[in-house]
Amino acid sequence: MTSPAQANGDFQALLDASVDGIVLIDQDGLIQVFNRAAEGLFGYPAADVLGHNVSMLMDAEDARVHDEHLKRYLQTRVAHVIGRGREVIARHRDGTLFPVYLSVGCVSGSQPARFVGFVQDLTARRSGEEQARRLQERLWHVARFATLGEMASGIAHELNQPLTAIANYAQACDRLLAHPEADIAEIRLALKETAGQAVRAGDIIRRLRALASRTPGAPRSTDLNALVSELVELLKGDLRAHEIDCRLELAPALPSIHAQPDQIQHVIVNLVRNAIESLVHNEPARRELTLRTKGTAEGGVELSVCDNGPGVGPQILPRLFDPFSTSKETGTGLGLAMSRTIVRQYGGTLNYRPSAAGGACFVMCLPPPQQDRV
Amino acid sequence: MKEAAKARTPTVFIVDDDEAVRNSLRLLVRSVGLTATTFGSAQEFLGAYNPADPGCLVLDVRMPGLSGIELQQQLNLRGAVIPVIFITGHGDIPMAVEAMRQGAFDFLQKPFRDQELIDRIQRALEKDRSNRAALLERGRIRERRDSLTPREREILELVTSGKPNKIMAADLGLSQRTVEIHRARVMEKMGATSLAQLVRMMLDLRESH
Repeated sequence: MTSPAQANGDFQALLDASVDGIVLIDQDGLIQVFNRAAEGLFGYPAADVLGHNVSMLMDAEDARVHDEHLKRYLQTRVAHVIGRGREVIARHRDGTLFPVYLSVGCVSGSQPARFVGFVQDLTARRSGEEQARRLQERLWHVARFATLGEMASGIAHELNQPLTAIANYAQACDRLLAHPEADIAEIRLALKETAGQAVRAGDIIRRLRALASRTPGAPRSTDLNALVSELVELLKGDLRAHEIDCRLELAPALPSIHAQPDQIQHVIVNLVRNAIESLVHNEPARRELTLRTKGTAEGGVELSVCDNGPGVGPQILPRLFDPFSTSKETGTGLGLAMSRTIVRQYGGTLNYRPSAAGGACFVMCLPPPQQDRV
Repeated sequence: MKEAAKARTPTVFIVDDDEAVRNSLRLLVRSVGLTATTFGSAQEFLGAYNPADPGCLVLDVRMPGLSGIELQQQLNLRGAVIPVIFITGHGDIPMAVEAMRQGAFDFLQKPFRDQELIDRIQRALEKDRSNRAALLERGRIRERRDSLTPREREILELVTSGKPNKIMAADLGLSQRTVEIHRARVMEKMGATSLAQLVRMMLDLRESH
């Protein structure tokens, strides 16, 4: 048998060996036990907190809620927090607030009631998450610029069209004006067209800037159809350069999505560029690409990007969405992996299926915006 | 009469899927007093084109559907002689080379100076004119040759292969005098003033086959 003194010593050793902070309080919320880990977490020596109300270790809001929980439990004996862990904000001696995971238990058979709290510091885990998020953001920038680089020649082609038209119109006007009986109406019309083509060139540059902007836009209510049409405008040169017949089948009155537009556009660019690269294997007269949007039964939206190219081979299929699994000589192997990460971040899915025409079909589904999103 | 006159006016056919480029090209061509017709696709052009219409073709190399190169191949298959000027974007040099290999008249990178395009168009129209004149002349020669009697055709073949009258007479079992009469008739019917001219006519016909 162990003596009470020995039991007490064993108990203290157990408490102090714990990496979690352990705080025991009585029914009035006064601190009875404060282990070594708790001292380290909160910055108080045990002697400074014993007998004080536990609310000194919490931020004001959590302290108020804690007080209510305690009172309610004592009256009703219905546990709200006991046996369940939750994240709360703790207060350090120096006043700084930090996130902790708190699990509370009731000391059984104790009369009056006593409660024990286990406090786990979340700061380290939080900063790990934060770091992962930052890394992902950087990766996303890299991927985005890689994509932009790949798009450059197509955009150059696309810019060349209005520039060619502008040069032609201007030179034609110059020649027409040299005639003694020049048709002013015709020349005026040509000048109007010239201005229109300058605007067209400007639009291409504006879209490019939006796509390349460094600051990622905040998630907002976004029209998927508009994103698709804008991008296809930008990719027109690329599609044209590869003699691809691109069709848009956009569902009218599509529900809006809650997303960061540049991220969704990045996904679409990736899917379209993959399709372009696979369609090059077809005869020029047989290169078809269809982008189709529709609403889903759940109130979300779906975008399918389908081509009639050779499709995805069986040897690639199992690892299609894995990072660095590329079938292209110049690919980073990150396109589809990044795209799926982005889509999943919004609670959506990105999947592959063979298309009816024997080519590849990528389907992105995004859920409806959540009403209770904060 | 009016129809015939219209058919003789050469037309610059412009095929480009970009409406603005197409319309601006048409205005540019019209600004130098030439006639232009535009088409939005190679298929549209093939559907409307009559190989008897003189002119030249200004064609974008890259177009969705039937590309410029494929249109050129189709025209070659149909035996159309219309000269083709390709317009290419930058970085399309391999395509331009391929087009030239397939018999394109010329190519031009966009954007371009108007004078460059107009000079090429003028040269292409000149080429079309001479092509068609040659074709016409060839048709006339063929008609004349077809008007010869079987015996005269025999003589024509032998004369143009360099046989002297004496040999021909022996080969055909005719008198030398008869061969001379036939030979004079052949020269007259063919509208040739010398043996050399007659030989050239026959070579020309053979080339077209």
